[in-house]
Amino acid sequence: MTTRAAVTRRTAIAAALAPAALAGCDIDPPPDPAPPGAATPTPLEDSVLVGSLVTAIARAEAVVSAAGDAVPRLRPDLDGLLAAHAAHRSLLVEAAPDAPAPSAPEGAAPAARQAALAAVRRSEQRLRGQVERGCARASSGDLARVLAAMAGSLAQHAAALDGVQATAPRPGGRR
Amino acid sequence: MSAPLQETLAAEHARLYLYGVLGARTSLAATPVLLATLTDCYRQHRALRDQLRQMLRDAGAEPVAAAPAYDVPPGWTSPGAISAAALGLEVATVETMAAMVARTIGEHRRWALAALQWSAVRQLELGGEPATWPGAPELA
Repeated sequence: MTTRAAVTRRTAIAAALAPAALAGCDIDPPPDPAPPGAATPTPLEDSVLVGSLVTAIARAEAVVSAAGDAVPRLRPDLDGLLAAHAAHRSLLVEAAPDAPAPSAPEGAAPAARQAALAAVRRSEQRLRGQVERGCARASSGDLARVLAAMAGSLAQHAAALDGVQATAPRPGGRR
Repeated sequence: MSAPLQETLAAEHARLYLYGVLGARTSLAATPVLLATLTDCYRQHRALRDQLRQMLRDAGAEPVAAAPAYDVPPGWTSPGAISAAALGLEVATVETMAAMVARTIGEHRRWALAALQWSAVRQLELGGEPATWPGAPELA
């Protein structure tokens, strides 16, 4: 079971990033032809893209972790998001093991619940934008599909966080 | 070139039909919130269908037509079953859009990505939970 899943994941992305796969062994039918004059992405560009996304996810993960550390009551609401980030990063690392290590986030998370949630939302919005742009740029259709699923996951978690924010007690106890 | 769009359009024809069935089996008096959600879903899928048709015409292709009717799974009777069925339609929508993302580029890929995210979020209103790989369950 585990072996099969691992093979599927490699097929989905790591193998898709291999030059041979991109040269014509992709599992999907070829995408629409590029419009005249459009830049043709290369396998190297996809590898660089994956590396940059690994770094971006790790940075977002650090922001979420810092928020949970600063406001422990938020942890149950953030656990699912943290798990998703870890899974997304893990899959991309399989494809780009040499990606540069992410830098530590700047500063500590705010200690107030609403402010900590707002910091997480800003960070998530930034990450989602990066994933969306990466999906649009990816030359491998398989990689684009993986990034689309990742963007869908981030959209769901953002919507769930909006619910948390909507139900969070406001200063002074008024809703 | 138009095959991914045609296949997505064919799937949207079926979903629109099935949402019509779900709406017809939902009571405004007994479950107004569910009916409002189904109505919103129906309208959004109708918009997706219309946009796909336009994209195909813009590409010089004739959009695939809807079938006269589609199979309706048994058991779509209680509000719980109807809500679960709608959730299943959105799960399938995300998978369809993810497949379209893989097989298109440029404007068409961006359109499929936006539709995927809309449907993924809509799942939460239908009782779904945030997933790690919506649209690509084999990656879990």
